[in-house]
Amino acid sequence: MPAQRSWWRTGLGLLFTAIMLFPVYWMVNVSLTQTGDLRSSPPHWAPWAPTLEGYRAVLANQLPALGTSLVIGLGTVLLTVVIAAPAGYALALLNLRGGRALNFLLIVAQMIPAVVMAMGFYAIYVRLGLLNTLPGLIIADSTIAVPFGVLLYTAFMAGIPRELLQAARVDGAGAWRTFVSVVLPVSRNSTITVSLFAFLWAWSDFIFASTLNRNGDLIPITLGIYQYIGNNTTQWNAIMATAVVASVPAAVLLVLAQRYVAAGVTAGSVK
Amino acid sequence: MTTTLADAGTRRGDRAGAGDGSPAPAGPPRRRRGPNGTQWAAVGFAAPLLTYLAVFYAYPLLRNLDLSTHDYTIRAFVTGDAEFVGLDNYVDVVSSPLFGTALANTAIFTLGSIAVQFTLGLALAVFFRSSFRLSGLLRALFLVPWLLPLIVSASTWSWMLNSENGIVNSVLGAFGVGQVNWLTSPDTALLSVTIANIWLGIPFNLVILYSGLQNIPDEVYEASSLDGAGPWRQFWSITFPLLRPVSAITLLLGLIYTLKVVDVIWIMTTGGPGDATTTLAVWSYSEAFGTGRPDFSPAAAVGNVLILIALVCGLLHIQLQRRQEA
Amino acid sequence: MISSTRKPALAAAAGLLSIGLLAGCSGGSTDGGGEAASGTYTWWDPYPQHESGSDWANRVEACGTEAGVEIQRTAYDTTALTNQALLAAQEGSSPDVILLDNPAVSTLAEAGILSTVDELGLDVSEVDENLLAAGQLEGDTFGIPIGANTLALYYNTAVLEAAGVDPASVTDWASLTAALEAIDASGARGITFAGIGTEEGSFQFLPWFWGAGADLDELDSPEAVAALTLWKDWVDRGLAPNTVINNSQNTTWEEFLTGDFGFVENGTWQVNSAAEAGFETGYVEIPAESGGVAPAPTGGEFIVAPVQDDDARYDVTREIVECMTTPEGFVETANTFAYYVPPTEEGQEALVEERPDLETWVSAVREAKGRTSDDLGTDYPVVSEALWTAVQRALSGIASPQEALEAAQDQVESELG
Repeated sequence: MPAQRSWWRTGLGLLFTAIMLFPVYWMVNVSLTQTGDLRSSPPHWAPWAPTLEGYRAVLANQLPALGTSLVIGLGTVLLTVVIAAPAGYALALLNLRGGRALNFLLIVAQMIPAVVMAMGFYAIYVRLGLLNTLPGLIIADSTIAVPFGVLLYTAFMAGIPRELLQAARVDGAGAWRTFVSVVLPVSRNSTITVSLFAFLWAWSDFIFASTLNRNGDLIPITLGIYQYIGNNTTQWNAIMATAVVASVPAAVLLVLAQRYVAAGVTAGSVK
Repeated sequence: MTTTLADAGTRRGDRAGAGDGSPAPAGPPRRRRGPNGTQWAAVGFAAPLLTYLAVFYAYPLLRNLDLSTHDYTIRAFVTGDAEFVGLDNYVDVVSSPLFGTALANTAIFTLGSIAVQFTLGLALAVFFRSSFRLSGLLRALFLVPWLLPLIVSASTWSWMLNSENGIVNSVLGAFGVGQVNWLTSPDTALLSVTIANIWLGIPFNLVILYSGLQNIPDEVYEASSLDGAGPWRQFWSITFPLLRPVSAITLLLGLIYTLKVVDVIWIMTTGGPGDATTTLAVWSYSEAFGTGRPDFSPAAAVGNVLILIALVCGLLHIQLQRRQEA
Repeated sequence: MISSTRKPALAAAAGLLSIGLLAGCSGGSTDGGGEAASGTYTWWDPYPQHESGSDWANRVEACGTEAGVEIQRTAYDTTALTNQALLAAQEGSSPDVILLDNPAVSTLAEAGILSTVDELGLDVSEVDENLLAAGQLEGDTFGIPIGANTLALYYNTAVLEAAGVDPASVTDWASLTAALEAIDASGARGITFAGIGTEEGSFQFLPWFWGAGADLDELDSPEAVAALTLWKDWVDRGLAPNTVINNSQNTTWEEFLTGDFGFVENGTWQVNSAAEAGFETGYVEIPAESGGVAPAPTGGEFIVAPVQDDDARYDVTREIVECMTTPEGFVETANTFAYYVPPTEEGQEALVEERPDLETWVSAVREAKGRTSDDLGTDYPVVSEALWTAVQRALSGIASPQEALEAAQDQVESELG
């Protein structure tokens, strides 16, 4: 009985995923289509005369940009966790005075439109000399994820049972030791989730990269795509090919991370 | 429970002295108001965040306020000396004929998006809750829309919804439905961008609600099954109420993020046709970057109106939260 | 104790990060253009499709080497360039040379961040008046066009033949509409163009607008209404597809390349693509309402030099600009882009000598009109926005052409006073 039920669910799950990912399929379709066939009416479900010119262009030019995006993504994850985890700890478990206000400020912080942030950053970065540098872009991208990360950590850490913390305190552990030995490992689930969000947001960021990192030698993939958007012509199959090639490593990372989350549910979470 | 206590037990033997000099000795069990030492530690832990907020958020926000209360012509933008006009920009914005349309579009776009995103995200989270073959993989695949740069996903939707050569119309045509001008007709343009936005928003809702569901222990469901409750009943009496805090924050964040959305609409319709899909965020963007003559001051004013709206929603959320806790 | 699985992951991440930081710091940092007579000059242009190693990039580099300096080139997408220039100027880090779309020149000039050709010591007497006008504001000239392009009607020879249409017969609006009807009757699509709600939409509408005899300072004249009615008519009758409301010029060209369309309104930059298309193509100039050639708007970029704190830099900047604007330089630009007609008579003749097939384009450019001329200057963007909004509203049925254009004129008047 359970096996039968499981297969039925799997089938349904595949259907839902297929519907959800249909635009992604379309993206792959376009990436293999010649420019002359892009706008054929009626549209072709699969490319009739497929071309690999988009992929050739991408593999020839965009791999450094992919690497850069990866570095930026990982850097953003690191920075976000380093700032958000201790802050969440302070808010949830150390009873920071004014914690409520800070929580509210964090929500407000997320309301500022990206364009406003980018313009403000430009002014700051020019003075600090951080324009066109990777660390600068990492800091900018982390602003997308940090407030959210703090909220997530706070919510989760507030649910850690007091017995654990008391046990640590009885051992003579101070705030820092408790944080590193007890709170962090137990919050692995949250860390993975925050890392996931931070990585994905940094990976697909365009506005900060465009305003702050145009002239750099190393540009992320979102900027690399614009190489195919000339001032009068656009090479769509190359753009879509870039997206496909860029998605593959990130998707692999995603699947791995999900496995950790699944494992973390029983081993690391708090019951 | 036993596992965690055992862990604590092993750590007991792992003493390495107190931490980094924070003065809290063992002593009495931790009370709500810790000694001053804990406060200092708290500030220490929160310090990176506080500096971060001050430098990176306060500055752009103040700059935006400055932009909106002065008259920044292009020349003034470059030289930095602009005439102070107080609330004139705001008055102009609110009394502009476009304001009503933009406000209505924003409301429809935002509320429509989060309502459907949330519902679908919740439905999918509940669906994925019972692990089945491939559920981990499929759940990960649901996040793929997030990986794609917005220009790619928005353009793909634009292609799919093209009036003449889009796949959606082609499929509808096979069922006998006439040509729907998804992106070029004022009646359906807003619907089209909302659909694309919903697609982009489902992963976020799915992940958060799914992890929220993980925190509801299985025993509760088992107990209710024993009592004879069917899945629907279980959902409404157990899942939904227990998820309320997570749902609240998901909806609030969803609201804030959707209010800011510009790229999707801009790439698909540039706010058109006419102003059928111009929301407040799109209006702000178009003032600053959409025409040959950047108008930073009105753009900043509209941006601030947007932040105000988000602020009001945030306050409402806090109020509701307080009432819940009381 | 951090769990054993996290340690190596963290170490790996930290390792990657440090490599990235080192690479980023050593390779990525750059300064603005404000230092005294250093060896690097910054150059911004809107051609990201020409990456380093391409003909264009090599050309730019060569001009720099000739002037004795190294040019650091950054390509932006054209929509971002104006604002980026403003941001940079605000922070005092303007680049040394910018290639800027011609309608934006008066905007930056008004902001006070461009130097005049007199300040730079450049001679612009040879440049065609109609092309130079876009870069002039209150009597001063702020840059030199590096080339110009304009619009025409490309056609698909096979489709026209099958419909029995002779391209030479398209001389005014009536004959054009008749041709479209014939093409439609033969099973193909008539014409496609770009009516998108951006500058491109205005750009494509202007030949018809001016061809009817309308003027940009009176958007609701009967002539203007006639032009908009022409477009609306085509869309309503199916002679033009509904997608024109959202089409960019690039999308329009893609539609034409499918081979289903008889005509497409597009620019000289597609000459090469037209030659490589899977079918034979030709082009005619856009007809005016009652015969003759419609004045088409000029496209193309200006080479401008932002104001720098250090005057000493202007000498080298002038050399670089001159290198790009010799007659041979103009022809080289034309060949690199295969569509920019040189803005001087000498350059044009040299180009036609080399490529006689571009004769039609050269004459079209000579007839073309700058969008910011007629003393519109920085008012043009406001007018343009009102115009493309009116076009969108009329074509999508929100308002009639008359109502839409009246609303547009009201909008312009209330904004410009």
